[in-house]
Amino acid sequence: MLILIPQDAATTFRASGAWGRLSLRISHPDDLAVVGGISEGGGSIISVDPPPPAPRLLAGCDSRPTGYWYQANSELHALWYLLRARRGTSMKLDAFKDAVPSGFKTPGDGGYVAITHAPGVKDAFPESGLPDLVAWHVTRAGFQPIEASAEPETTGIRQLGGHWPVKELQNTRIMLVGAGSIGSATAHALAGYGVGHLTLVDPDRLDWHNLVRHTSARRHIGRHKVTALAEELAALRPDTTVSALALDVIEHADHIRALLADTHLVVCTADGVAPRRVTGHLARRAGLTAVLACVLQDGALGEILRLRPWPQHGCLTCRRRTLAEAGGLDPELALDAGYGTGTRHRPMTAVGSDLHLVAQLAAKTAVATVLQRAGHPDQRLPGEHALLGLRRQPDWAPPFDLGHTAELRWLPATPPRSGCPTCEAP
Amino acid sequence: MGIDDAFDAFQKTVNEDIGKTRLARERRDLFKTALLSEPDVVETFGSGSLSRSTQLKPIHDVDVVIVYDPDEHPEWGNDGPSAQDALEYVRTQVNRLLSQTNGTHANEVRHTLVRNHAVKCFLDDPEDPEAFTVDVMAALRQEDGSLLIPEKLNTRWVPANPEYLIGQVADHQRDWPHFRPLVRVLKQWRLTAPVQGGIKSLVMEVLALNCMPRSGNRSQALKTFFTAAAVRVHEGVWDPAGLCGQIQPDLDHAGLSDAFADAADLAERACVAAAEGDTDNALRLWQKIFGDDFPAPAAPAKPASLITGTPALITPRPIKDAPQG
Ligand SMILES: [Zn+2]
Repeated sequence: MLILIPQDAATTFRASGAWGRLSLRISHPDDLAVVGGISEGGGSIISVDPPPPAPRLLAGCDSRPTGYWYQANSELHALWYLLRARRGTSMKLDAFKDAVPSGFKTPGDGGYVAITHAPGVKDAFPESGLPDLVAWHVTRAGFQPIEASAEPETTGIRQLGGHWPVKELQNTRIMLVGAGSIGSATAHALAGYGVGHLTLVDPDRLDWHNLVRHTSARRHIGRHKVTALAEELAALRPDTTVSALALDVIEHADHIRALLADTHLVVCTADGVAPRRVTGHLARRAGLTAVLACVLQDGALGEILRLRPWPQHGCLTCRRRTLAEAGGLDPELALDAGYGTGTRHRPMTAVGSDLHLVAQLAAKTAVATVLQRAGHPDQRLPGEHALLGLRRQPDWAPPFDLGHTAELRWLPATPPRSGCPTCEAP
Repeated sequence: MGIDDAFDAFQKTVNEDIGKTRLARERRDLFKTALLSEPDVVETFGSGSLSRSTQLKPIHDVDVVIVYDPDEHPEWGNDGPSAQDALEYVRTQVNRLLSQTNGTHANEVRHTLVRNHAVKCFLDDPEDPEAFTVDVMAALRQEDGSLLIPEKLNTRWVPANPEYLIGQVADHQRDWPHFRPLVRVLKQWRLTAPVQGGIKSLVMEVLALNCMPRSGNRSQALKTFFTAAAVRVHEGVWDPAGLCGQIQPDLDHAGLSDAFADAADLAERACVAAAEGDTDNALRLWQKIFGDDFPAPAAPAKPASLITGTPALITPRPIKDAPQG
């Protein structure tokens, strides 16, 4: 049995007196209970159910009186720790009674669950990590520890404060263009890093054939991908606020351009050449770095391009031309087509987790770019263009000639080319 | 010697002698009072790095802004000859008030020259390379609080807002007492940075405003500054008041970025060394950035080592086999 003590219940224990009654919501199939109500001494039991969204148990189980809680001395919690390590060990009831200064109730035939609160445990055993709230099974024969877990005061990304630049990232606003296979995983990864604000841009709806690679579940079929993603992220990563825009970056370029004034960095995981070019162009005009992620060669190669709006760094088109001239890249016909007139992309043939691996690298690149600019030297990347071997194939032209799967190669930027409408000032 | 003591000692070698700073302030204040006594002058204030307390030694020149009553000079502010006229007017006024031979207020100014934006007033022999000068600038206050200043070469009046920068620096300093001293340190550092064509001191000052944190110790702050500045310099360094555009359009951005990145590397290693209690190595690394004036113990005799190649300042740290799942 595991007993969960949600935040409100833990706060109530810590603020209460010597003892009281306890009600639990119990799920026998899960071997799990949640503290649902607490009384002060013999008074009436007051609900401590957490506000919605509540744990699943609260919906399924009635709360009923099941035991008692006591204030206890710190040694009892040290004993809880030791007895847990020696599985199945019981102790005589007197030891428990002695550790509980007042209110002790003698158990009946079935025994009861007890929660003890040891307010002095941190002072008595500093740095031991002993919890101030633990649980017991108390019977006539003796008492045994029960697993218990109190909700910490801090959950979510703030838990990592001091080890990770949480504050900087919570204040960061990233726009993600493309919420498909790579995009959905990128959104999750960016939220995982603690990026505070995400704007998702994608006009597409989740379709049956997307399920094999997308992070969204089947129940979202037919909805806009950005809406489904925003909903899932809200449940999973509440530290990230998500704006969902079912817009096409080419068709609604003016709308997107206006939003960039309030954006720190753009990530583009859209497929097709035209949306990538438009995104890179808009970001550069707005003075923002764009990170473009895709797979090439039917998913055999992952590629991350970091386009910084700097004088010596060429845009997507300039870099592609330079690669093509060096014989490394066979440009698609669409590469030279005007915005919005390119051919549709080839059907995706990559496996989902390979795409998600590229997505993680894209998110890492974006976050490292933000953090380096904020002065974190440990987040500097080795280059501006990453190639990741997903299914290694021999005889590719350099720089795509990766020798092994999972090999990662970083290349520098290439300069703008003369006459480029994106790189040269308007 | 601890890290903080070393920074304190180094700061002393960067800061101008207090007596010389006081003298510079006195000279500036002399101009302010003399000109404020004139009927067509509305206000006078010091500008430039001395007014922001970010001046680097030696202090050769100070800047004074004289704001005139537009009703007394209705022709000023219009493009054309009035820009040069205004500067000539200031020159005459300064000579009448402060000339060495016949000043009515004091006898300090030996020579004056009309430059593009200001009248350069020599208080020492103009031939002396260390000659102390006061740059006097004429200005008209605009409705939005900013200034119009004359530009002789282009015969026009241009907007400027020197008080904005003064305010920004003061604000940063209020939040974090290391700010002004470290700006002076960075201005000194720039003189040795391997950058084509040099770096204007205002470039460093504005980068410091943009990239220096507002909390923490000096080591951490410099590590952050060098890292961020290596990126930000690529974005151009712009007048913070948004009026005058890029401060040094011909700046060697790539060269300065590389110099910042090298300093960031060393600063990061210095912070790691300090965190591990290896103060001596930390000091040696800071000395690599700031030069011999930064106090550091001599490098220890090289121990016999199987590892060949350039001697590392810090021995590589082994990784602990403590997986996290
Ligand atoms: Zn270009």
